[in-house]
Amino acid sequence: MHALQKLFPPTEFALLAVILVLPLIGAIVNGVFGKRLGKEGVTTMALFAIGGSFLASLVSFSLLASAQAAAHAKGSEEAVRFLWKGWEWVRVSGRHDMAQVPLSIDFSVDALSGVMSLVVTGVGFLIHLYSTKYMEKDAGYHRFFAYLNLFVFSMLVLILGNSLPVLFVGWEGVGLCSYLLIGFWFDDEKNAAAGKKAFITNRIGDFGLIVAMALLIYYVGSLDWAGIEGGRSNLLTRVQMWPVGNQVPGTSLLQSSMPSLVEALNRPRYVSAASLVGIALFLGCAGKSAQFPLYVWLPDAMAGPTPVSALIHAATMVTAGVYLVCRMAGVFVLSPAVMFTIALVGAFTALLAASIALVQNDIKKVLAYSTVSQLGYMFLGVGVGAFSAGFFHVLTHAFFKACLFLAAGSVIYAMHKRIHDTDASQDMRNMGGMKKYMPHTFAAFAMAWVAIIGVPGTSGFFSKDEILFKAYTSSVAFPIPDGKLIDPRSGKVALELWGWPSWGPTLLYAMGVLGAMMTAFYMSRLVFGIFWGDFKGWKIVKGWKEPEHDEHHGHHDDHHAGPVEGPKPQESPWQITVPILILGALSIVAGFLNAHPLHIAPLDHFLEPVFKFANGAKDVVAAGSKGAGVVEHPSAHGLMWPLMAPGLLALVAGAGGAFWVYLQQAGGPAKALAEKLPGLHALVYDKWRVDEFYEETIIGAVDSLAEFAVVFDRIVVDGIVARVTAFIVAATGTGLRRLQTGHVQAYAAVMVVGVGGLGWFFVAPHATTTVKPDEATGSYQITAAPGLGYQYRWDSDGDGKPDSDQFGAEASLSVSLERGQQKKVGLEVKNAFERVSKRQVTLFRPKVDASKEGPGVIQIEQGPDGQLRGVMPGQNKPLELRRPPAPPPGPGGPPPGLRMAPPPTRPNPAEPHQHQPGDVH
Amino acid sequence: MMGQLVQHYVLLSTVIFLIGAIGFLVRRNILVQLMSIELMLNAVNLALVAFNRQHQGNMNGHMFAFFVIAVAAAEAAVGLAILLAFYRLKASVNSDDADTLKH
Amino acid sequence: MSVGSLFFSVCALVALVGAVSTVAAKNPIRSAVGLLATIVAIAALFLKLAAQFLAAIQLIVYAGAVVVLFVFVIMLLGPDATTGERPARLRLSRWGGAVLLAAITGAALFVMRKGFGPLVPLGPVRADFGSTEAVGGLVFRGGLVPFEIATALLIVAVVGAIAVARSKPQPKKPRAEGHETRRLFAGPLHPRDAERPLPKESAR
Repeated sequence: MHALQKLFPPTEFALLAVILVLPLIGAIVNGVFGKRLGKEGVTTMALFAIGGSFLASLVSFSLLASAQAAAHAKGSEEAVRFLWKGWEWVRVSGRHDMAQVPLSIDFSVDALSGVMSLVVTGVGFLIHLYSTKYMEKDAGYHRFFAYLNLFVFSMLVLILGNSLPVLFVGWEGVGLCSYLLIGFWFDDEKNAAAGKKAFITNRIGDFGLIVAMALLIYYVGSLDWAGIEGGRSNLLTRVQMWPVGNQVPGTSLLQSSMPSLVEALNRPRYVSAASLVGIALFLGCAGKSAQFPLYVWLPDAMAGPTPVSALIHAATMVTAGVYLVCRMAGVFVLSPAVMFTIALVGAFTALLAASIALVQNDIKKVLAYSTVSQLGYMFLGVGVGAFSAGFFHVLTHAFFKACLFLAAGSVIYAMHKRIHDTDASQDMRNMGGMKKYMPHTFAAFAMAWVAIIGVPGTSGFFSKDEILFKAYTSSVAFPIPDGKLIDPRSGKVALELWGWPSWGPTLLYAMGVLGAMMTAFYMSRLVFGIFWGDFKGWKIVKGWKEPEHDEHHGHHDDHHAGPVEGPKPQESPWQITVPILILGALSIVAGFLNAHPLHIAPLDHFLEPVFKFANGAKDVVAAGSKGAGVVEHPSAHGLMWPLMAPGLLALVAGAGGAFWVYLQQAGGPAKALAEKLPGLHALVYDKWRVDEFYEETIIGAVDSLAEFAVVFDRIVVDGIVARVTAFIVAATGTGLRRLQTGHVQAYAAVMVVGVGGLGWFFVAPHATTTVKPDEATGSYQITAAPGLGYQYRWDSDGDGKPDSDQFGAEASLSVSLERGQQKKVGLEVKNAFERVSKRQVTLFRPKVDASKEGPGVIQIEQGPDGQLRGVMPGQNKPLELRRPPAPPPGPGGPPPGLRMAPPPTRPNPAEPHQHQPGDVH
Repeated sequence: MMGQLVQHYVLLSTVIFLIGAIGFLVRRNILVQLMSIELMLNAVNLALVAFNRQHQGNMNGHMFAFFVIAVAAAEAAVGLAILLAFYRLKASVNSDDADTLKH
Repeated sequence: MSVGSLFFSVCALVALVGAVSTVAAKNPIRSAVGLLATIVAIAALFLKLAAQFLAAIQLIVYAGAVVVLFVFVIMLLGPDATTGERPARLRLSRWGGAVLLAAITGAALFVMRKGFGPLVPLGPVRADFGSTEAVGGLVFRGGLVPFEIATALLIVAVVGAIAVARSKPQPKKPRAEGHETRRLFAGPLHPRDAERPLPKESAR
């Protein structure tokens, strides 16, 4: 261990490169040479890449854990973070009164990303192993593993990136891999469409993420984690928003017809920058993590191969949104409104998706909606400020949902051998009694099932119970006293933050419990439908025609169309059963990582330093204010056991209800209910027709816009622009063609002309000057460019007559100017051929010293103490970043949030009250 | 008459260069054109060596001329090879016939 | 007239006559002989300019190799080496060319007149100036990289000349089909099997 610590120091943690690069190598090798490597080669490469990455993650995790334990022993509460610096990518301009923001390709690992990378590589390895069998007969075997490895690489970039832009690269990378893998069997139109839907829906969210990055650059001046945490107090500022642009009075038709409306539109609205950033970030999270209203892509994404559904669309990628919220927890807690939105959206999504899952028959669809629902739980958790609880649910969900998907894939694998129809082999109604035929798959499925419905002692119980408990007891308070931003100059309230309503926790808790009951019901329905009862798939091949004679279909005894009874469903091979059994076992025991009711919570303690900034928000608020950031219900401790009761009741009601309906009554009550309420049943079965609603409104609007644009395209672009351009090009070509005689001599003659011109250029003198100003002393030095045999004659007083008759060798001249003075200086240059060239330079010294007042170009330097500071070129003292003069009030309003802007570093903890929140305007 | 001046050599070099240039521009026989190029290169060499004779600080002029000779040899070999290939194609050594790109 | 001036004058005359006959002769063989005369005369002038090494190189490379190469090609082409030059038409380009040349000549004379300082006779020669040792030492110390590049250039030129001047290549033989290793590494490896979920249409 000591040797490893020495080998990988915390500031040059090159092990991250190993974690990242191995899957990338796997992707490149499999993608480029996969066809030649053969199946064994591809398998070896893919498994080695992910396995090696997992081992490296394990090593880095243990190093991190020991470092954190050592730091904790010393009493430090700082989060331990291992950095691996890549290179500086680009510098962007921040606000005018701030230094430029360097964007670096850096990677880091801390407690949060360490756990997450373990999950990604560990679960990823199991799913790779599973896929070697599941995809064995596919023609695109190497392509599949190239995509899968690329996905793991992108996911690791997302997790390990040390700043938002790097995270965004990974974010887009996983989106791309998701698209490629959903449409993996792209020869079916439906699959390709599902891939496109996922990709486009994600773009909407990514837009939010980009906006959030821009806002953070503007307000915080940094995009890496440390910089955002350090400068986040800058987000507590007022942003003025114009609802519908700025209508200048008396200029628009609207204004004259509806003055009151325009007046209402013109009234500026104020929000805090933290809310803006938070809502934009959450839009990104909602897209990636399939939250309402952007969840529609995830159920369709099940068109991809089942291992993909397990890895990308259940265990890892879709939890990236939760990860981002946890990562940016320090920013989110500054805005109670955004946190409440997240919690509410999460709870609503959990309910909505669970209600759809109640009636679906396709087992992958049920699991997909279950995933959406569980993601909703995670957002409910992080929304109420229980970041570690939400993240714990990410962990347990990765185990049990991956297990469920893979086990469902095992069932589908067995069904497909008999049915050869993708849809029919996923339909629950064709299954039943599988527990007899597939005991291992059943064991794994059952373990994951008891976990997801929350049977006490399993991982799902602990994580879900923790979220429900926190939903009631935890809330987000104002980060500033009474939620009021005070203008430091006028002392008036500039902005009032929106606080949590008193009924909020109760509502969220009730929604969570209701969702838990539905979860227990639909998951039990699924398990009973697949594994209990009698097998209903015997006659499924009736009417099925073999498309052509094909020896791969050899296990079919005959080819006539008619009732055929296939062989019994068979248990899957070990490559499939071993991963699901491991995952099943994990989904049972992983709960003890964070079993709060039993007071065993190692994960929480491990993550605590990461969420330090979220809990309390102490660096932002004024001391002594009542409540700040995440607060707990005063009697939270005593409520732990009472609040568990409704959750357990929900479990019993849901699972028991399913037992009664589907096992004892064989689905009779469900059918009766569906017949009694056909409209409601159809509505829920059609997923509340949300897709249709989007189709009609948003997509329809875009379509009609496109139809209009097409007219413009045909008439203006194709009709006028294209023809004119073509004519110009053709005419020019016709003219220029005459120059191309095809005779070597003609070309040589033209070359001679060119050489002659070049010669003339060298023979003629050139009076070129450079001026080097020194604004502080007013001394301007003019230097003439040197040349062959050049001699110079200066005219320093600008009267048109040279200072002396003789040409001299003096190539530079110093001129002294007063402030605001303007002066002309002449220069004559004579070269060796005695030709003379003249030039006049006008010098002007500005009245105001630009180097002190203007924004100028500020360079960032790192001092010996590691702090960053801005420095003006030519001056060695650090720059004071000063408040710019207030702009004159105009109709456009002041720029939002002008306030003191420190350089993007951590604020000095000794002066917590240094930055008054508020708006100087 | 005074002793040798560098001007004499440079003047001779200029005249030979111009003769070569005229030859290249006027003649249509590719062989002669190639020879004209050799003339021009020789003229440049002469100027280089003459200037170096005047400024004896170093011998970069000689070195330059040396490399010019090497390049000229390569150029003659490739040029004549192209000439042969062209002759095989068109059965002519007239540069006006090298106009396939135009037609 | 001193001996040196006489030598220069004779060499210059030979070089000019050679150059003019190179350009003006109708028969390329005469052109080649004219080129030879110019080259030899310039080599002699190199000697006068204390460039013994370059004079030798000039004779070996130019007279010995380049001119011989020209003569070879002329022999190879035989009577076709002489092109019937088309009758000179008074085309605009001709006049243009003449004007151009006059302009360049004028410019050159202008540079010659103005561009040099006072007329100073060439002084005495340094002891080892222009010797083989001096040039060789210079090339191998200061100019080793360019020298190596020049050797590479010559090799490329030789190979290129052979490649270009070679007679037409034979049509390629079709590549051997069914070779063991080729079959192993090419073509579709894994025909789509029934056991992976098939698209819906094919299943129906």
